[in-house]
Amino acid sequence: MTEARPPTVHIVDDDLSFRNSVARLLKASGYQVALYESGKHFLERVPEDAPGCILLDLQMPGFDGLDLQSRLAERDNILPVVFLTGHGDIPMSVRAIKAGADDVLSKPVAKDDLLEAVERAISKYSEAHRRREWMSSRRALVNTLTPREREVFALVVRGKLNKQIAGELGTSERTIKAHRQAVMEKLKVQSVAEAVTIAERLGLLGDLR
Amino acid sequence: MGWPIRRSAAWWALSGLTAWIIILTASFGCQPAFASEPKRVIILHSFGRDFKPWSEYARLIRAELVRRSPWHLSLYEHSLYTVRLDGNAPETPFVNYLRDLYAKHPPDLIVSIGAPAAGFVQRYRHQLFPLTPMVLAAVEQRRIQRMDLTANDAVVAVSLDFARVVGNIVQVLPETSNLVIAIGNSPIEKYWATQLGRELPPVTDRLAITWYNDLSFEEMLKRAAALPPRSAILQIMLYIDAAGVAHEEGTTLTRLHAVANAPLFSYSDAFFGDGIVGGPMLPVAAASRQTADVAIRILAGEKAGDIKTPPIGLATPRFDWREMQRWNISARDLPPESEIAFRPPSIWEQHRWTLIVVIAGLLLQAMMIIALLWQRYRRQAAELESRSRLVELAQMDRALSLGVMSTSIAHELNQPLGAIMNNVQAAEILMNRSPLDLEQIKDILSDIRKDDARAGAIIGHLRGFLKKGELRLHDVELSEIIDEVLRMVEPEAARRGVEVSVQAGNPANVKGDRVLLQQVLLNLAMNGIDAMQTSLNERQLRFATAFVGDTKVEVSVSDTGSGIAETALKGIFDSFVTTKQHGTGLGLSISRTIIESLGGRIWAENRAGGGAILRFELPLTKARAP
Repeated sequence: MTEARPPTVHIVDDDLSFRNSVARLLKASGYQVALYESGKHFLERVPEDAPGCILLDLQMPGFDGLDLQSRLAERDNILPVVFLTGHGDIPMSVRAIKAGADDVLSKPVAKDDLLEAVERAISKYSEAHRRREWMSSRRALVNTLTPREREVFALVVRGKLNKQIAGELGTSERTIKAHRQAVMEKLKVQSVAEAVTIAERLGLLGDLR
Repeated sequence: MGWPIRRSAAWWALSGLTAWIIILTASFGCQPAFASEPKRVIILHSFGRDFKPWSEYARLIRAELVRRSPWHLSLYEHSLYTVRLDGNAPETPFVNYLRDLYAKHPPDLIVSIGAPAAGFVQRYRHQLFPLTPMVLAAVEQRRIQRMDLTANDAVVAVSLDFARVVGNIVQVLPETSNLVIAIGNSPIEKYWATQLGRELPPVTDRLAITWYNDLSFEEMLKRAAALPPRSAILQIMLYIDAAGVAHEEGTTLTRLHAVANAPLFSYSDAFFGDGIVGGPMLPVAAASRQTADVAIRILAGEKAGDIKTPPIGLATPRFDWREMQRWNISARDLPPESEIAFRPPSIWEQHRWTLIVVIAGLLLQAMMIIALLWQRYRRQAAELESRSRLVELAQMDRALSLGVMSTSIAHELNQPLGAIMNNVQAAEILMNRSPLDLEQIKDILSDIRKDDARAGAIIGHLRGFLKKGELRLHDVELSEIIDEVLRMVEPEAARRGVEVSVQAGNPANVKGDRVLLQQVLLNLAMNGIDAMQTSLNERQLRFATAFVGDTKVEVSVSDTGSGIAETALKGIFDSFVTTKQHGTGLGLSISRTIIESLGGRIWAENRAGGGAILRFELPLTKARAP
């Protein structure tokens, strides 16, 4: 992933002519494109994790856009999905948006609308990518904690005082204080509030007792 | 002049041989007016009983007398043979004979037939029956002037106009250039030959007259058989020829007719029917009736001398159709008001009843044909009407089908339109770059053209499908129609998650209307797609064709939907039967009407594995080779 490489738009459309034309337009507008003739085809060739988005035809025979969208969600995909529809089919569009689509565009689409939607989706990718990077780095930090430190961390983020923690774990308040210091250092946080954010975002609040 | 009493043996022989008496006793017993004594009437012939036309006069007078007489009649007939012998034959024995014969029973009336007989009774009146009234019948008026009539004599004269008789010949056969006069050589015939010669039109270059009066009849026959062209024969009398042979029985004309190569004419209608052409003739029947009439009046008591009747002239011309045919005389050449006799009875006259029955039959038949044609016309009109209704309904149904599919149609159209838009915009970007990537711009333009054509084709196709046309039957290939329907159905099927497949069969040609067949298939397909709306299974729509025997082809459209309730299978093609919320209930009904109007049938079944199969069967245009 080098900065010089432009983001990739993954075009999934069963219509060859439309697929080629939109690819041409996006290439001319400075994007990289990857073409897929069906949702299944896309799933077979899961793209590398690189900046970009999916431009997905809502109506395709058999395995349609919504089907692909739900399968991608199961796979922890962070590539934003921009739907294209041949006809403003409102119920389908609503379903798509509810399922997390970033945009629904109607064919034929004006270049500016298309590029704007693609750009917005790509920036969402960057955001999501950053969030995922942050999460995985924090998850890695959490993983460096010893079991005892994890117990202390779990109780700290639930707002327990050292004394209460010591009581719960059956140890001295001093020991707890040292553990707490180690946790804060390992997680590279300055405040309890920051630690709570990490626990919350990693979904640890439920896990840890 | 005294009557000699002596009778010669020759006379007796003659009279014994040739005199005869016919006593006709008409008995009308029931009429009390009858006197006990019969009325005695003597009929006196001029030559003999069977010389035509006098024989005809006598016969008719006799018959008429008997018919009209209120009295018993005794008719006696005698012939005056003396005139057949030469002019010097003695008449006295005959006079005596008559006088003696009727001495006890004098006759009440004497009727003479012809001029010689009239002359005889005139001459011997005082010696024979001075007071007996007489009727002189069949006497030409020229001859009467020479007679010395008494108060006891009545005359029924005829008037013979030779100029008219000859004029008729020239009129009906204008080409005639040679007129043969066939006449005998007895005194009376000589008299008439002279009269005729006097009254004939002057001989001209155009019409020559040939006299046969001095020939024997055998010679006449010989000559008549070899007459020059444009000849005609007028037979006046032929009682006794130049050889002295008497020709009784009226056979001369018949014999002449048999050999002559020219048309024959006569002055008396007694010969009419024997081979003469015809014309104005003396009417024997009318003269006979007149005579009988006068006779009855005299017998009833009227004074003979007081009864005056006008002479009977030539009657309305009559012609023998057979002779006209033979001599090529057209009815147009005849004098006005002519009568044509002996025309063979027309088919109508011959077969009147058969014809009436046949014509009635024909009329009846014609009426039935007209009625049937009318019915046929009405039925055709109704068929046309129902066909145009079908066409209208079908068109409405197609519009509705497309309405249902409008989303997919829009999608289908937006694909090429969207592609065009993208390509144009890409091109705009590329145009601003340098160097120009002409290759790519060329590709773009080519793609635009293709997409434009594609959009045009979709619209054209839809327009063809929506077109409100007449029912036009062509030889159409079913798999082509299935392909066309597939193109219409696929977008909608895709939109609704239905997979469409076709089991391609061999080409099958049927007689049908392309659009209407598309419509049937579209209806069946949309029905299948609708049936799978709520299905959680795989949604598959399948078209298939298969031959049924060698003469039919079956098309089926199957789905994997919910199937059709068994009770609904039969009625599914009825009008207004719908299971859909927004259906008109007409689609399948119209489909059935279309298929049936093409001579096929349509029906629905359920599939073993779930879902329904709708099938229709159509006759192949050409039976498959076995």
